[in-house]
Amino acid sequence: MFIWLFHKDMFIKNISKLWLLCFLLIASFNAYSIDIITHPSVKTKSLTTAQLRRIYSMRQLFWHSGSPIVVFVLPSKHKLHQKFTKKMLRMFPYQLDRIWNKLTYSGVGTAPIVVDNAHALIDAVMKTTGAIGYIEKAPINNKINIISIKG
Amino acid sequence: MKNIKSFFCFILLLAWFGETQAADLTLSNWQWHGFLSQGIIDVNGSDFVSNDDSISSELTEVGINTSVQLLSNVRFATQAVYLDGGDRYSKGARIDYLLLDWGLFNKNNWQANLYIGRFKNVHWLYSSVRDVPFARPSIILPQSVYFDGFRDIAVSGDGAALKLSYTDDSYGDFDVNYSYGTSPLSKKQGQIILSKLALGDVKQDIDSQASFYWRPVFSSWRFGLSLLDSDFSYHSSAQDYFADGKFSFQFYTLNALYEGEKWEFSGEIYQERFVTKGFYHSQFLQDHLGQGAYIQTRYKLNDDFTLLARYEKFYMDKEDKKGKQLEIDSAGAVPHYFAFQNDFTFSLSYDLTNNFKFRLEHHWVNGGARLTPIVLPNPLINNQQHWQITALQLMMWF
Repeated sequence: MFIWLFHKDMFIKNISKLWLLCFLLIASFNAYSIDIITHPSVKTKSLTTAQLRRIYSMRQLFWHSGSPIVVFVLPSKHKLHQKFTKKMLRMFPYQLDRIWNKLTYSGVGTAPIVVDNAHALIDAVMKTTGAIGYIEKAPINNKINIISIKG
Repeated sequence: MKNIKSFFCFILLLAWFGETQAADLTLSNWQWHGFLSQGIIDVNGSDFVSNDDSISSELTEVGINTSVQLLSNVRFATQAVYLDGGDRYSKGARIDYLLLDWGLFNKNNWQANLYIGRFKNVHWLYSSVRDVPFARPSIILPQSVYFDGFRDIAVSGDGAALKLSYTDDSYGDFDVNYSYGTSPLSKKQGQIILSKLALGDVKQDIDSQASFYWRPVFSSWRFGLSLLDSDFSYHSSAQDYFADGKFSFQFYTLNALYEGEKWEFSGEIYQERFVTKGFYHSQFLQDHLGQGAYIQTRYKLNDDFTLLARYEKFYMDKEDKKGKQLEIDSAGAVPHYFAFQNDFTFSLSYDLTNNFKFRLEHHWVNGGARLTPIVLPNPLINNQQHWQITALQLMMWF
């Protein structure tokens, strides 16, 4: 009986560990690590989700310092762009496309600059004053800033 | 045209001034985009595209635009298009917009812009992209609102437009638009709307429009309303079938849009008032109140395939929805079905790549209220109450 209880206790402990492991595995599958990056000239160090959404829907065109924001994006069918739009902006890629198409083809504004791949996006952000972009895992160097997103 | 040329010279001067002033002009300050589309269209039972019932390739739309940031708050933008849509509008090239965008102010939550020159109509749900094949929801839009016969008048105007945007972190996005101007009308365009027998000139005297849009914070919904007031005049020629006339047009819309991950719903409900003074004879007076609505749904099967279904209902005079009075007033010359137009549309879109799209659609139409010419209908050609459109279009853009 004692042995059974001991084993039962071990069994429960192991089950608990297994559940924890499963949870961490699921969490790691769902986790996304997208970094918002800017050119070093940008003094802003953090943005809210609402501010980020304003910037990508081209409703905020200037940084707090007054310098113009240059927005870079990946093509709308790119997996990273789709993940960024849904998780970070809480929008669907086609909604952004519509906003940008309206601006581009009615003359009332300009759309973000589309680059072909993630490598080109980092390169563009590093080279363009006032630039903002997104990347899966940003390299840590003094050529780009990483922006923290709050709320 | 003369005004456009003068304005273009002014823009070039300003561009030169901007070049000398803005030391940091980089490639990000200059953008250019365009689109190219070709399709085939088959209309059975009406002259919507042409007088014969054969398959037509008159479904060509080509456009190119540019935007140059001249100063930090001044931008120049223009778009030229070439269209061939058969009898839907006059064939050829035109400037859809050519404007100076002056950013009056741009704070974190506020944005105000003044557009001077030829500005585009942004007031209705799809008016800003009605001429952009891949960006509009279907090849042929609901004709009661986006009537192709009025295309050149409705797409843009010469004058000034103001846009005020406000974003509130608790209440969402607010947009207010106002525009004031006129649209030039070619003789061909005048005849498309009025009649081929109209030998005089049609002129738009004024067009004043306003709209308001609201999207609640982080919401999939957006709501809007628009108001339009416009006056036209007809100046008869020396040998003309018609007298001088004045037309007054008021148009009010309410719209809603829901954008979900798979499903999308949109609709516009509207009322229009069309007053005719003179034209048929000097004492003629007619005051019609037309009404209509459409509801549209789109379902995304996956990242590439989208289905669309839409039902549209429209009548020219709410007191004569079935057209009995129209038939009596014209002594039987204009059949009753010219008083209304209902359209059920089904469409399939396929995104071949990021920049190529293919679309196939079919319309089942009942009535002829939006068949040109509308002022003096042609029942000899449009002799069927029920008619159909099938169209397919291949589009690319950059």
